[in-house]
Amino acid sequence: MLRAEKISKSFGGNQVLQDVSVWIKPGTITTLIGPSGTGKTTLLRALAMTDAPDAGEITVDYKKYVFPLAHDQKLSPLPWPRVTAVFQQLFLWPHLSLRENILLPARNFPRTNMDVELNELIDVLEMKHFIDRFPNEASLGQRQRVALARALMLQPKYVLMDEVTSALDIEQVANILNFLPRLKERDIGVLIITHALNFARRAADTVLFMDHGQIVERGSFDLLDNPQTPRLQQFLAAIQAAQ
Amino acid sequence: MFSDAFDIIWTYREGFLAGLAVTLQLSAIIWTVGIAGGTALGWLAARHPRDWGVFVRTGAFLLGGLPILVLLFWLHYPAQAVFHVVIDPFITAAFTFTLVNVFAVSSLVREAIADFPTEYLTAARVCGLTSRQTLLQIQLPIILRQILPALLMSQVVMLHTTLFASLISVEEIFRVAQRINASIYKPVEIYTALGMFFLAVSLPVNGLAIYLKHKYTRNTSER
Repeated sequence: MLRAEKISKSFGGNQVLQDVSVWIKPGTITTLIGPSGTGKTTLLRALAMTDAPDAGEITVDYKKYVFPLAHDQKLSPLPWPRVTAVFQQLFLWPHLSLRENILLPARNFPRTNMDVELNELIDVLEMKHFIDRFPNEASLGQRQRVALARALMLQPKYVLMDEVTSALDIEQVANILNFLPRLKERDIGVLIITHALNFARRAADTVLFMDHGQIVERGSFDLLDNPQTPRLQQFLAAIQAAQ
Repeated sequence: MFSDAFDIIWTYREGFLAGLAVTLQLSAIIWTVGIAGGTALGWLAARHPRDWGVFVRTGAFLLGGLPILVLLFWLHYPAQAVFHVVIDPFITAAFTFTLVNVFAVSSLVREAIADFPTEYLTAARVCGLTSRQTLLQIQLPIILRQILPALLMSQVVMLHTTLFASLISVEEIFRVAQRINASIYKPVEIYTALGMFFLAVSLPVNGLAIYLKHKYTRNTSER
């Protein structure tokens, strides 16, 4: 299990995360929703340990990382790519083709069926017609799919995704939704930040609602139909009104 | 005019070739030490911005504001008089131009490393790339693509700067041309011949810079 206990993070005097505790079980999908600027991405980066929390503990299966790290202490063993992330900005390497973006890190984990795996991802994510382009020659939706494929080819145990379906059309989102159960079958724990409530409802085993740097409410996918806290009710009502 | 220039080149070929050899020898020192030393210094400056970084920025600022000829003359005449030493003009010229090149290259490298988008490194980390892989397969190729054209062009400029060495009696190609002109007084033909020599050396480097720019420094801004 990927478990974070009492994670806090500040930028300057601005406390972005306050004693946040979350856990992601292998083979489950958790969606994280909440208003913009509420600390969702900061939480994802803290869980990925790319921006170390100021305080708290993160346990990846049986390895516990305690924060803050001592002055010259480094993460050991490195949690990546057992825990990996797909960031909102994607960060594809611009000098490599999209195919090489996927294969370069994957080659660190060689296996006989790598080509089969890649071809399967190319099919599922409909990447065949652009896979040999460079990142600047692909649309945002295409790059999102490549970033997702790059993460999945690493055989991670936990994948943290930040708004990775924001630029996809309905058909591609449906493909992702159909693909997610396969990640569960592979016992991968997934956390997805999303603003798309229908996607959250259909994808999630667990839904987390975050506001002002705290997890306000958590529950199963039907939480979105039966919100318990006034803040989540207000948030859902605002979204429905906007739609 | 060009046929006259070729005639002069042929007539004085030994002198021109000797001068060209000195020019290329000087350039080879400036280029190799400048690029190697500048890259190392630039890397140090980017890694340690508070000490090496300040040193490189200050050095580049001062040398950038100082005409090379003034620096060359100062190191050749007053500095040697002050320290009571006599140094071969070739060594003085090589040291001066290399010093300028080292700081010019180090500035290029420092800025390229300092401005390198850390997001690419974050992506490398979460993808499990090792530090060595990240350096060799992500950071260096991107930085090289970014600085290579400017680096090559700056080396062409350094080649042209070697002309100043003639002013402290280094027997490089410009000084040879001046001496030939002093004896036969055909400045148009002689300086045309000199221009042809420089074009022959500069154009391939310029061409390479343009080729690399087109091949590697694509517009990487995303849609």
